[in-house]
Amino acid sequence: MKKIFLIAGICFTSHVCLAQLTTTLVVVPQPPGTLINWGTKELTYIISNQAGSVIRNFIVKAELKESNGTVVATTNLAKARVRTIGPATLILYAADVIPLEVMVFTGRHKTSLERTGKLPAGNYELCLQLVTPIDFLPFSEVRCRNFTLAAFQLPIPMMPANEQVLDAEKAQTSVMFRWTPVAPRPSELVKYIVTVFEILDRQTPMQALRSNQPLLTKEIIGTTQYIWQPQLSFAKTKVWADDIQADSLYSKEDKAVMDSVDVTTFIWTIQTVDSRGVPFGDGNVNSDGISEPNTFTVIRDRRKIKTGPPATILYLNSMKNRRN
Amino acid sequence: MKNKTILITTLAVMVCTDIVAQETATKKPPFSISGTAGVSYEYYGLSKKPKGWTGFSPRKPWNQVRFNFSPQMQFGKNFSLPFNFNFAMKPTNYAGPYSGITKQSFGQFITNPMNSFGLNPKYKWAELQLGTQYLNYSELSTGDIGVFGAGFDLRPGTYSIKFFTGLSQQGVNFFTGPPATNGAYKRSNWMFSLGKAKEEKYEVAINFVKAKDDSTSASPPPLLIKPQEGFTMSLVSKVFFNKGWYVKMEGAQSIYTKNLLLPLDVTKASFKPFIEAHTSTVKDFAGDAAIGKKGKNLDIGLKLKYIGAGFQTPGYLFMLPDRFDYTLNTRFNAWKNKTGGYKMNVVASAGQRVNNVSNTTLKAKQFIGNLNWFTQFNDHLSLNVSFNNFGFQAPGGINPYGIKNVSNDFGVNPTYTWGNDKVIHLLSLNYNYSKYDERDVITGLVTSNNTHTALLTYVPTFLTKDLSPDFSLMYFRNSMPGFTLKLITFSAGLGWSAAKKKMNFRAQAQYNYSKTNSFSNNNNIIASLNNDWKVSKKLTWTTFISTNQFKYGNEIVPNNARYLESNIRTGFQYKFGK
Repeated sequence: MKKIFLIAGICFTSHVCLAQLTTTLVVVPQPPGTLINWGTKELTYIISNQAGSVIRNFIVKAELKESNGTVVATTNLAKARVRTIGPATLILYAADVIPLEVMVFTGRHKTSLERTGKLPAGNYELCLQLVTPIDFLPFSEVRCRNFTLAAFQLPIPMMPANEQVLDAEKAQTSVMFRWTPVAPRPSELVKYIVTVFEILDRQTPMQALRSNQPLLTKEIIGTTQYIWQPQLSFAKTKVWADDIQADSLYSKEDKAVMDSVDVTTFIWTIQTVDSRGVPFGDGNVNSDGISEPNTFTVIRDRRKIKTGPPATILYLNSMKNRRN
Repeated sequence: MKNKTILITTLAVMVCTDIVAQETATKKPPFSISGTAGVSYEYYGLSKKPKGWTGFSPRKPWNQVRFNFSPQMQFGKNFSLPFNFNFAMKPTNYAGPYSGITKQSFGQFITNPMNSFGLNPKYKWAELQLGTQYLNYSELSTGDIGVFGAGFDLRPGTYSIKFFTGLSQQGVNFFTGPPATNGAYKRSNWMFSLGKAKEEKYEVAINFVKAKDDSTSASPPPLLIKPQEGFTMSLVSKVFFNKGWYVKMEGAQSIYTKNLLLPLDVTKASFKPFIEAHTSTVKDFAGDAAIGKKGKNLDIGLKLKYIGAGFQTPGYLFMLPDRFDYTLNTRFNAWKNKTGGYKMNVVASAGQRVNNVSNTTLKAKQFIGNLNWFTQFNDHLSLNVSFNNFGFQAPGGINPYGIKNVSNDFGVNPTYTWGNDKVIHLLSLNYNYSKYDERDVITGLVTSNNTHTALLTYVPTFLTKDLSPDFSLMYFRNSMPGFTLKLITFSAGLGWSAAKKKMNFRAQAQYNYSKTNSFSNNNNIIASLNNDWKVSKKLTWTTFISTNQFKYGNEIVPNNARYLESNIRTGFQYKFGK
């Protein structure tokens, strides 16, 4: 009798062992808040089926919770994709285990996701488990991982301020660039690439940024300041005389002021990349880690008699009088 | 390339035709022509020593030819035909959809942002917009992006009806390189505006902007970017009152799909038939408002701007979302002089920007303040004082300390002039002190970065001669713990006129000494020559030649490395009309 129980026990154990799949879940500690940006780097779920095991169908059940245990999202099992695993190892990524189309979000998280594509910043726990199709019975252990979502914001170019006017005498020696850091500070080291483009005559600033070769591309790590020694003789790139566009935008007096100075305008920005050189940016629409740029102008006073306000002020006032 | 040749030939023929037309225009007053056409060539050279040293990269294309053709023809009183053709022969795209492209198809050449081919025939209040157009509808809808296509701008009476459609970028295949090409999806754009405006009274308009990527247009597709679709509608209004007072407001709603490859989602906000939501679609709003007064001697204004965290518009590609900022700006003149003018001019602004508005715990605050105060005490002495400040503060989050960066710049610039009826001397001293504090979020230690800049300028103006020399000496010192940078620059320039003032030369030479910490110094010499030559009443030939010799000390390896840059720009501009 004892033998019969022993054999039955062995059979049951081996059946359970066959049914159990080994799973491993890896989530980076600080993934981006924009869930659709989660790719192969952010989340990996490895499922191992022992050699000789039968082919199994399964669904990945996911549950996302806040650190206080409040459920943020769960998988709609009825809509979830049924997957199959044979005697092998299967690797799944974010798009496979938490596809947005089958995840049901609740409360403020749902609102935030619909409005911004991001979950609110905070600490979260993601738990995954394999369940059977139809009756949704679990047949793997629950794997959970904690992570922190921080809504990173790209740097903001600060100095020279947008549309600032600099004297050529000073700018020919140095131009100081300052910007805000990525906020909050990410756990990995980021590199800032300061880029400066000359805006040629008849170009808009955005045209220059998107089409010109940069005069400066400098990688900066660990600080948010760079002193550029341009080593340039600023060529007069803004030609106002005979410009129909300038005629329609400026008064005769303001155009005369502009004709009496040599103007070279630049657009500058910060590109942020991670330690592997991959553009950084959570939800950055162009996926290039490029911040909203600023322009600045270098002017050289060409007035025969230089009296009254400095040319920089005259130029700035003329620009402000521009007809919209 | 063949297409480009045809295009250039066509333009050349058009230029000739226009010149002939202009010759006969004097006999036919109903026709007039203005504007310019020109061609310029730029050469860039770089040689480095020792050979194989990779420390300095070229900053410009080796050879570049640029054309511009911008005449405006006026037929009678009511019909005008302005051209705006500007294009370059060699693509140099670094950022954006054409980044890294070397060989471009004709379609890519036409829509490359470095080239514009626009034609805007206008009859009375009806304008046809053809080719490349950079249309600015409003600050929250569209204004940044160039689109190649067709549309119109109609202004019957006080109404305005605008529509434009076309391509803002062609599909570009991803290529690992070298040189690497990021790739891009072909993007179609549509924009429409309906408004009513009365000059100097009011303006009101409703704008619609849409862009959609063709997800099949790049093969292999870009690695980092997904095909997108965006739709934005905005209501903008401006009211102008007496004495220069004004109020401007705009509210905008955007629906943006970040990845068209993800499935459609009926639970998300759509705006059919313009946009159908996918699982990656977000919907958010933005708004801005301004109130102020604009006058001859006083400007004052308050500006507010809110951009929601999910707000995205196809018309402004780099708009930073999730922020609220407000700024108070003013400019005024004071202290009347004997001639009725003013001795004092003040320009100031102060404001705050809140970033990460959608996050209650991670809001970052940024303070900005600027002041520029100019005073002309008498005929000889003037003083300019400036102060700029910005501070950025963000909570620590997972770090022990929050971010805190504070920048303060103070500048003072007295200028003294004296002279007689032959020469006027100008002596100007410009001193600037700049302090930048950055806090380390792990240790809490603050690093202070201090910069002193002093610039002395002397300009003698010879009233009876055509020579205009100028001299300047600058000292710059930047220091922070463990780092000191010193720069000394001496610069001398000379301008002169020749050939009955038809030729205006300017030569400049500059020596720069720089020294970092205890390394031996670097030496830099820059020389340049400019010439604007009015060959005839209508033709100008401009030339710019510069050279830059830089020699390192032992600051970098290999020691004593050096490079020589040379740059030549030369171009002709032809002025149409009288």
